[in-house]
Amino acid sequence: MYGWAGQRLRVDLSSGKITKEPLSYEYRRKWMGGRGFNSDIIYNEVPPHLDPFDPRARVCFGVGPVSGTAAPSTGRVTVTCKSPLTGGFGDSNMGGHWGAELKYAGYDQIVVQGRAKNPVYIWIDDDKVEIRDARHLWGKFPREADQMIKEELGDEDIHMMLIGPAGENMVRFACTFNDVWRAAGRTGTGGVIGSKNLKGIATRGSGTVKIANPKAMMDVCNRLRQVFKNDPMKIGLNVYGSLCLINVANRDGWFPWRNFQGGAHPLANNMSGETHAKTVLKHREGCFACPIGCGRFTHIKEGKWAGEEFGGPEYEHAVPTGPRVGILEDANDIWHNARLTNDYGMDGIETGAVISAAMEWYEKGLITTKETGGLELEWGNEEVVDKLIPMIATRQGFGAILAEGGDRAADKLGLGDEGHYYTITTRGMSLPGDDPRGLGFGYGLSFAMGTRGGCDHLRSLCCLELSGALYPGLNTKILGDERPNKPVTTVGKPYMVYYEENQKTTTDCLQVCCFTTHWSYAVLTPDQVEYLNAVTGLEFTEEEFQEIGERIINLERAYWARLMSGAREDVVPERFTKEPMPQGVDYQTNVGVVFPLSEMLKKYYKYRDYEPGTGFPSERKLKQLGLDYVAKDLAPLRSKYLSESEKKKKKYYY
Amino acid sequence: MSILTKAQAKNFAEMDDFMLELCDFLKSKGVIDAKIHRSILLKGFSRLVDYLQEKKAISAKEAKEAMEKGYTSLVYALAK
Repeated sequence: MYGWAGQRLRVDLSSGKITKEPLSYEYRRKWMGGRGFNSDIIYNEVPPHLDPFDPRARVCFGVGPVSGTAAPSTGRVTVTCKSPLTGGFGDSNMGGHWGAELKYAGYDQIVVQGRAKNPVYIWIDDDKVEIRDARHLWGKFPREADQMIKEELGDEDIHMMLIGPAGENMVRFACTFNDVWRAAGRTGTGGVIGSKNLKGIATRGSGTVKIANPKAMMDVCNRLRQVFKNDPMKIGLNVYGSLCLINVANRDGWFPWRNFQGGAHPLANNMSGETHAKTVLKHREGCFACPIGCGRFTHIKEGKWAGEEFGGPEYEHAVPTGPRVGILEDANDIWHNARLTNDYGMDGIETGAVISAAMEWYEKGLITTKETGGLELEWGNEEVVDKLIPMIATRQGFGAILAEGGDRAADKLGLGDEGHYYTITTRGMSLPGDDPRGLGFGYGLSFAMGTRGGCDHLRSLCCLELSGALYPGLNTKILGDERPNKPVTTVGKPYMVYYEENQKTTTDCLQVCCFTTHWSYAVLTPDQVEYLNAVTGLEFTEEEFQEIGERIINLERAYWARLMSGAREDVVPERFTKEPMPQGVDYQTNVGVVFPLSEMLKKYYKYRDYEPGTGFPSERKLKQLGLDYVAKDLAPLRSKYLSESEKKKKKYYY
Repeated sequence: MSILTKAQAKNFAEMDDFMLELCDFLKSKGVIDAKIHRSILLKGFSRLVDYLQEKKAISAKEAKEAMEKGYTSLVYALAK
């Protein structure tokens, strides 16, 4: 077999049973790898109404057929579970080197189920797999546990997945790390791992990936590396990291100032990639086989936090506990907060989002110091943010309420619909630091339709509207029109989102970095098909490649449908559809814009062949994709969703 | 005989999002079948142009222009 390792490792932490399951040719061809393998397991093995923290729940780690090869950026891993944050389908993926190591150890996927009696970690040394005591690691930050395990196993070159204290405490938005700093941030995967008493998975792989056609593979990889040399997005990402977006976001009005009350601020440059590079950048880092190298390593040199170091931050990691909570004057506060969320192992986006929602509740008088335990949740109060992050991670005081995520916290505090208005979530998950009134209407449509909740920034990633203008002719080649490369327009956006979602999903199955295929468009679909075929020796077509993505999207959408989540929940927070964008700086391009979701939604449904009433995938579409069993699952739910009793239910999470 | 009338071409040219409707129309006229319809939606505009050129519904010059100028050029070519 070429490309794939051909087997799944299953570890049951309740019984201690470890099994290896072969992955058939048909299975691999249908689901490709990574996200596809994982989504299939969650759909079939985790009943939709099961508590995500129930020992019977699964958490999956998947890599793809080109993982560990010389194709651009092949080190990613998708982590998938039933999300404890949203209660629906959840996944997130991360860079680093662990994905390649898993493949070299001989696995395409790991499925963990059950719950260990005491904290443990899994040690994979090629075909030898052990469950080891981790009581001494419990409570440690990932960077501490990483070092301790390496010393314990006597090998500095081991790569591992780890969670932090937030995951151990089942914070609903705890994340999963590998190589210490590379996070699968979203949907609370770390909390599910923690609920199983699993601290991490250390891996050493001495194998290789068998390539069917080495010469063809080298030819395509060499050609793509030449393309990257002059790629405009590669250059920006390498020099300034994803913080290169700060000044762009500020100009185009999608910079998340104070929980999206504004979209631009005169001090934004304080935290730009340019400023970061001049002041605190220690060195740049790249993930496995990466031609871009967008990773940062930060060393704070001055002020209260002088001496602190950490890997990162990314744009999406820096803005939530920075401008989103009103902190912008001293960028060192922002770097410090990003370091804290990393160490405690929490999704930076959700952490900043829940704190900013609480700040807005406080501003509007919905809560007072009585509820917060004396914390004065004023915008920009770094002292409070610095206290709250550890309180959330360890579920102390008011932090224990926020550890539930914004919408659950609003309910626990009895804030009603007004409280939910400020949580800026869709299906229970907070939107990242990207305001669709400025970033783009394609992105906004994706926020409403994302199969893991209100998140698109690494999902459909319709960068044809963000960076498309840097690639003249590309929008025309795919969409037939250059106009969709303007963010604030509905022109071409329904088809853009349909196309990009399919494309990104299969990219997540290959487990290659989407910065090579979306932000940067150095690698296009035909290139991916070319290296996939060179590796596997099979003859995938572009249509088949895109159809695999479509199949997975429909499966994930069906998981939500089984929870009675459909058309009524395809929304974005009302702030974006009702409040015109205010002016923050005089050069801002989107003053007065509101986001017109409903115009695009109907058309998008037609591309997807979703039923207009329920929003569920149609029976016809499911059968076309070989998902007859899913069509059967949904059949009795279609009329139920349209019943009067269901219509009355307000669902902020599941 | 042209595939589109001038009025139909104008209507398509003014659409915010044309791809699905144009493909549906071409399918209803028997210019493309269900398989090609699906292939175009999965692969994008270039697949549509390639197919129409292959079927001689448009000339090589018109195909080149469509790839440079976009779908409005294509729909008016289909109305010639």
